[in-house]
Amino acid sequence: MATTTATLNLSSDMLSSPISISASSILMKAGITEGLELIEMGRGTIAESDGSKTAEFGLPTALGVDKAAKLFLVNKATDPTYYIDIDLHDTNVGRLYAGDWMFIPWGMNDTASELVIEAEPSGATCPYEFVLLQEPQTLEGHS
Amino acid sequence: MATLTPTLTLTSADATTDQLSFSVTDSLSVTAPHIGLAKLAVSATGANNIIQPATDGQTYYVYVKHTGVDASGSTVTTTMNIELTGDVVIGKLAAGEFMWMPVGGHSLGVQLQASSGTIVAEYAYFTKA
Repeated sequence: MATTTATLNLSSDMLSSPISISASSILMKAGITEGLELIEMGRGTIAESDGSKTAEFGLPTALGVDKAAKLFLVNKATDPTYYIDIDLHDTNVGRLYAGDWMFIPWGMNDTASELVIEAEPSGATCPYEFVLLQEPQTLEGHS
Repeated sequence: MATLTPTLTLTSADATTDQLSFSVTDSLSVTAPHIGLAKLAVSATGANNIIQPATDGQTYYVYVKHTGVDASGSTVTTTMNIELTGDVVIGKLAAGEFMWMPVGGHSLGVQLQASSGTIVAEYAYFTKA
């Protein structure tokens, strides 16, 4: 059992009184057991000319049913107009602009939950980095 | 126009033999409208718990936390789905967990759904300037 702690701090000068939100949690397996012990980290680059691609990390399979996973993804582009379009299979979720990141729970059950990424606009190239924290999955026998 | 600064830190002393220590921050230009920080007793019907409206080309930055209690204040261990409207499941949060993500450029909103009973969620969203 591993204990991984995630902490988020949000601060803003949007209002006359400063906004400050802080949250900290131990990442859990599905249910109430601590520990996402499978950690995958890496980086890649996607260009607009590549079209939409299934992200190469943590491909959802039936092994992910009822398993917990958390995904961190950051767009490392420096041109502020470049963004990574994020889709769940065929459903658009949102855009990660240059320097922006997300930290989400991810239900990696089947192809309907595959993460699809696409660099935009025309001519854009977006380096990205990711961290995927998962429950260990039951290994399959070799073919 | 205002600035929103999100910072995420991931740490673990025992997930691997080498310690995990990771921190990232960002500086976001945001504008109205924004909602936050709000609280909602989430039921088991996602369509009844829409926390962020459908977008019309803009991007929202969305924060959600599972507080670990139900509407009566009792501790719960049930999970809470993060969904796009239309019941498109992104993933589920366990008690105490949170998420941060951009949503936008499309027409769907964000809704929450308790796996059973009720779960009190805290949430906020900010609009990209």
